Amino acid sequence: MKRVLLSLLLLVFATNEIWAQSKAVTGRVTSTEEPEGIPGVNILIKGSSSGTTTDLDGRYTIEVPSDQAVLVFSFIGYKTHEERVGSRSEINVNLASDLEDLSEFIVTAQGIERDERSLGYAVQSIKGDMVSQKSEPNLLNSLQGKLTGVNIVGASGAPGASTNINIRGITSFTGSNQPLIVVDGIIFNNDTDNTQNTLFGSQPANRLNDIAPESIESINVLKGPAASVLYGSRASAGAIVITTKSGANMNDKTEITVNSSVNFQSVYGLPSFQNQFGQGTQNDFNNISTASWGPAFGTPGFETVETSFGTTVPYQAFPNNVRDFYQTGRIVQNGVSIASGNRDDNFIVSVNSSLQDGIIPESFFNRNNVQVGGNKKLNNGVKVSGNVTYVKSESRNTITGNGGSAFGQITRIPRSFDLVGEPFQDELGNSLFYNPAQNHPLWSTQNEFLESTVDRVFGNFKVGYDISDWLNITYRVTADTYTDRRKAVSRIGSARTPAGSIADDMIYRSELNGDLLITASKSNIFTEGFSASLLLGQNINQRNLQTIGVLGSALNVPFFDNVSNASVFTGSGEFSNVRRLLGYYAQLSLDYNNYLFLELSGRVDQSSTLPAGNNAYFYPSIATSFVLTDAFNIESDVLSYAKLRASAATVGRDADPYLLNTFFGTAGFGNNVASVQFPIGVGGANIPGFLPGARLGSDQLTPEFVTSYEVGGNIGLFNNRLSIDAAYFFTRSTNQIFNVAVSNASGFDVQTTNVGEMVNQGIELELNGTILESGSFSWDMGLNFTRIRNEVREIAPGVDQSGIPGNGFIGLTPSIVVGQPYGVIVGNAMQRNAAGELLINPLTGGYLPGIAGQVIANSQPDWLAGLMNTFRYKNWMMSVLVDTRQGGDIYSFGMVDQRNGGTLAMTGVDRDLPRVLPGVIEVGDGQYVPNNIQVPAQTYWSGLGGLISESGVYDATVYRLREVSLSYNLPRRFLERTPFGEASIGFSGRNLWFFAPGFPGDPELNTQGAGNIQGLDLNGVPNTRNYGVNIRFTL
Amino acid sequence: MKTLNRILLVVAVVFTATSCQEFLDVNENPNNPESVTPDLLLPTGLTGTAFANNNELNRFGSTVISVTAGAGGSPAAYDIYDIDGDDFGNQWRFELYGGALISFEEMIKSADAIGASAYSGIGKIMKAYAFALATDTWGDIPYSQALLGLENTQPVLDSQEDIYKGTDQIQSLFDLVREGIADLDAESTAVPGQDDVAYGGDLLSWKKAGYTLMLKMANTISVKEPALATSIINEVLQNDLILSNDEDLNINFGTSQGSYAPVHEWTNISTFAADLIISTRFVNLLQSKNDPRLPIFVTAPTGEFITIDNGFAGQRPLPQTSWSRFNTYVTGNGAGPVRLLTNFQRAFIMAESVVRLGIAGDANAFYQEGIRASMSLAGLTAAQIDQYFADNSDEVNLTGNVESDLEKILTQKYIAWTGNGIEQWTDWRRTGYPTLAPHQNAGGIDPNQRPLRAQYVSQEVARNPNFPNNIFSNIPVWWNE
Repeated sequence: MKRVLLSLLLLVFATNEIWAQSKAVTGRVTSTEEPEGIPGVNILIKGSSSGTTTDLDGRYTIEVPSDQAVLVFSFIGYKTHEERVGSRSEINVNLASDLEDLSEFIVTAQGIERDERSLGYAVQSIKGDMVSQKSEPNLLNSLQGKLTGVNIVGASGAPGASTNINIRGITSFTGSNQPLIVVDGIIFNNDTDNTQNTLFGSQPANRLNDIAPESIESINVLKGPAASVLYGSRASAGAIVITTKSGANMNDKTEITVNSSVNFQSVYGLPSFQNQFGQGTQNDFNNISTASWGPAFGTPGFETVETSFGTTVPYQAFPNNVRDFYQTGRIVQNGVSIASGNRDDNFIVSVNSSLQDGIIPESFFNRNNVQVGGNKKLNNGVKVSGNVTYVKSESRNTITGNGGSAFGQITRIPRSFDLVGEPFQDELGNSLFYNPAQNHPLWSTQNEFLESTVDRVFGNFKVGYDISDWLNITYRVTADTYTDRRKAVSRIGSARTPAGSIADDMIYRSELNGDLLITASKSNIFTEGFSASLLLGQNINQRNLQTIGVLGSALNVPFFDNVSNASVFTGSGEFSNVRRLLGYYAQLSLDYNNYLFLELSGRVDQSSTLPAGNNAYFYPSIATSFVLTDAFNIESDVLSYAKLRASAATVGRDADPYLLNTFFGTAGFGNNVASVQFPIGVGGANIPGFLPGARLGSDQLTPEFVTSYEVGGNIGLFNNRLSIDAAYFFTRSTNQIFNVAVSNASGFDVQTTNVGEMVNQGIELELNGTILESGSFSWDMGLNFTRIRNEVREIAPGVDQSGIPGNGFIGLTPSIVVGQPYGVIVGNAMQRNAAGELLINPLTGGYLPGIAGQVIANSQPDWLAGLMNTFRYKNWMMSVLVDTRQGGDIYSFGMVDQRNGGTLAMTGVDRDLPRVLPGVIEVGDGQYVPNNIQVPAQTYWSGLGGLISESGVYDATVYRLREVSLSYNLPRRFLERTPFGEASIGFSGRNLWFFAPGFPGDPELNTQGAGNIQGLDLNGVPNTRNYGVNIRFTL
Repeated sequence: MKTLNRILLVVAVVFTATSCQEFLDVNENPNNPESVTPDLLLPTGLTGTAFANNNELNRFGSTVISVTAGAGGSPAAYDIYDIDGDDFGNQWRFELYGGALISFEEMIKSADAIGASAYSGIGKIMKAYAFALATDTWGDIPYSQALLGLENTQPVLDSQEDIYKGTDQIQSLFDLVREGIADLDAESTAVPGQDDVAYGGDLLSWKKAGYTLMLKMANTISVKEPALATSIINEVLQNDLILSNDEDLNINFGTSQGSYAPVHEWTNISTFAADLIISTRFVNLLQSKNDPRLPIFVTAPTGEFITIDNGFAGQRPLPQTSWSRFNTYVTGNGAGPVRLLTNFQRAFIMAESVVRLGIAGDANAFYQEGIRASMSLAGLTAAQIDQYFADNSDEVNLTGNVESDLEKILTQKYIAWTGNGIEQWTDWRRTGYPTLAPHQNAGGIDPNQRPLRAQYVSQEVARNPNFPNNIFSNIPVWWNE
């Protein structure tokens, strides 16, 4: 089909060639990839408007006016090539491919396209093929290891589980630190709606999961406030600007692209277990013990044991009892898109489907997208464009967390318990488990789950008009709205809710934006080579959220998952909020001779969430770029390109809604031990009760600010074969809107106020180079490095630490602490003497009680690096991505559980020998002697510390073979007799290998998902290894 | 010019459509009210006080005092005296200060604003009850500067002595109750009805509860401050006290999920039921006294009492359904009630006060009144009680020996308080009675000392620099020094 269209096109061009020329030149244009000739290459005579294109075989003929003429060969995806004609009449050209060419134009804030060289701040561009067909349906995960200045951590391997992303560190104490996501100009909601306690619930998706990676043309990461200031408040954490595929680059062709892939997932990152000792404690068998401190297998008298069900079974190890709980997951992705047109008139229709069955039994995440979009330039010069996408995402995951959940139990499986070989429920559907107080993990996956169905529509509509050749006015309306209908079921018999409960939640979010954009740009004003453009914008924004939840508890009929089955509805309710914002912005860009650039931006926001009368705030930015090689006319084979850039910017951020006052709420007491929720039924009457809210409001709130300075440079060496991009940034966040923890004796828990100061500074380094280029083989390497240091400098007068809002365990509080990085975990630290030695209780040989309120862990890594190797040989391409995260801590319930329970491999070593906990004993007068009190292995390993203590902290350093992909493009000559324009087949794998020296499993876990609380593994789902095959062809 | 006109037109249209302040005036919270009336705060405060008494602190108290034994979870740690600053955070933060106490504080404010002095009176009496619970548990606590919200976000600690006795600046708990009783006598624009989940709005009962609370608090400090205790007891004896079981200050709960008394939920409903089993020692004690209340207080699902010893580290009995637990006398199938002040308590305090302080009266009569009140409350008939008295005359009669009489009074009071571990623990700390043997495998900070207080809550210590760190559980509180 493509070729037919192309031929028609060539015919049109051919008939246009009507003037006589003085000399005819013929030739053929080829490339390494297309040795038979590239059709459709543009050939222009430099300095004129006349030209031609190559035919199907890459051949051309052109009339040139003289021997002095220069032919310019250009084609998308290749470096533009110039040839002086001279005396030749045949000029054959081999075009070099230039992937860099495509990314030279960078989409910046408000969709403005800018030449990379003009930017005074760092923007990193990722092309769609870097994230699609990579065995990874989650877009953010597929960016891991590929960006500088960006920290991406997935929650777990549960299908659809959310992923946290922070660009250039954490800049807000309590506001969202996730970057703003913009898809085709649409402010795209990436919230993670937690309707369950994040310590115990299932892990919901962040809503960027609604984007199909296959539909993405490019991703531009705007890292600092200077880059994103035009987006206003919400981009102070940076912005990710995604452009989806369109028909604009089709060169008037129509192309049908089909993608198909199937991938498999397996559980990954489990620790090694011991297989010598079975269920029990103190070397004795105990059939309801969660521990494996029982007798060694083969001990006389323990050939068989009686289970808690009353059966007699052999006493033996089940080495794979944990691993076999997981199944092989499967991701099937299919997509078709039809694109056609040119820059002004084009359309695209695409359909993508991703069906994932997770590694956890019963879990899935399915996503179906339909997108329609197009541009049209009307005869009267008005440009109209629009784009609408409908997504349906459906998922199911089981609950997680400490204690009563599949994952709370999976870390407490004795080595001698046959987890998957015995029935997990009786004929009535009741759980059968060695521990009668808990549920069998397989029972939990079937009977305790959260289902979510998201219907989402997002789109834009844009009308623009060139009032004159230098002045354009455009109005753009964007909308993004979804409803997420959820059903959280805990059937009768669930450990946490034995009477059963069903929560039906309806989450509705919508965001509307209207932007008026007036752009004026003129070249050669005042003086030759001086250009200027001015953008004036106005933004009107509204965001709505409504959550309506019905919580039915005390169920009557087993397996009837309908709230009508419930007897008690006290947890039901509604939560809604609305916020509005008016923004006015301007940007002046100046360009001198295409080597010196200056950009001045400013924005005023007026927000509904700040005190009326004091709700407007202004913030500016300045950025400059200087291309040295052009300014000083440096032409060298060594130094091909050199640019310096610098910027400074401030971005203001408003408050969340309704923070200005203190409110009352429906009262409730308790937790999972026991709880009361008003209204309570007492003696036949329903009695309501209210309680002052835990938060003290303030009507004096002002916006918070982030100020950022950045310097950087780009250097191209050896004809740009090696490029270096380096940046240093310093960011200072002030006036944070924060819920400062107050003494609970005040009657309240927190107080909302403007406080604090936090700084981030960091270095980003990106190196790209062609290591080897020989014949049809090439080896490209890309290295990125990020090092960010964050420090909380000030919280509030008299307050030097405060918890981060969210769900937490007492004694394990993710916090801000003066002098520490954001998000450190405050908990019980071991007692030490002045020399730092651990203090032993002389009565027991165990450690002395810990000291509360100490910093015990910091989840922020010291540095991150990724190394991408790309090998090309003829039609083969292979890429290998390795990355590392150095330093940072993870706090793991799972590992503590398994260490205390004697299941980890290390606890089986020399178990019969007595041990001495490392530490010293105080003997008075400040003197200490080494601990010499011998304790048995069980006392030793559990003496290291329980769930809430310093001993759960591990070094999260990890090296990882993140991604390997291999693809093969079928040569054109194979396809000539087929309807296919292009065809490729690929193989890819993710998480193929890891090495974590300080942690017995894979430390890349983050149970509470996307958000400000990081570095905790609280009995969540482990990670997955993915691998599969994909095919792609065009018609 | 034409160009400029077009621009101006578009700009004008957009701006007139949007630039009004009304567009931004959407910050009224649709989810939560800014103020509520006292009748919506009274149930919260009463339920919160009962919840604090009856939830985790009761799991702790009943275990540490050898009524229950810890079979797992936190109670297993309590059972071996192992408590620290990570325990009872919810009780401090959300049940007492951020629960009952702030509810009463706000209720008193909103009642004073509308002249509803009946609510103010109940609020002050209950505030004193909740503060007494807090100081008896933690020792020195924020009191005179507490509950002030933005006015003081880091209140200082007042000494327990000052809280009980008062100073020029600090109102004593006794004066707080006196003020509350005076409010009950004043004219009120509103009186509680069914929102009063204790007395259904019966203000006379509230006055009796107020005086009985003063009696209880005087009893609490009577070892440390006998003179003050004597004078307060003599004062309250001039007034109406709780004199029959149906005047008890009971907080009523419900029999549906979300309305259960905590003891029912953690005994019979939640997974935490696996944490607690009745102690063998408690069953032995009642059996040694032929006490007919044993099967009323404690279940025996198999017909036998299936229990474990305190601190026992071995295999728990199986199946769990066979375990002896608190019976419906304590749980009420969810309805409770949670007993905060009782007629038997009043009688036992009087007996102790006659013996210890020389308060006028017949100690033996008060002692027997206490036993009868408790047995009657447990549902025994007068004939059954008479029979018990006839068959066990040694048990139900004092001898005139001060120490052995105190031991008898406090042992019977301990039995009568079954299900309220905090009262049992406080009485034991004050008097050393009943005589309790050390738990097996005791550990914690001091294996030789049953806890004498709760350690300050880690989170509060982190938030309020006025708190000292690490006052361990083996240090007595002021009235126990």
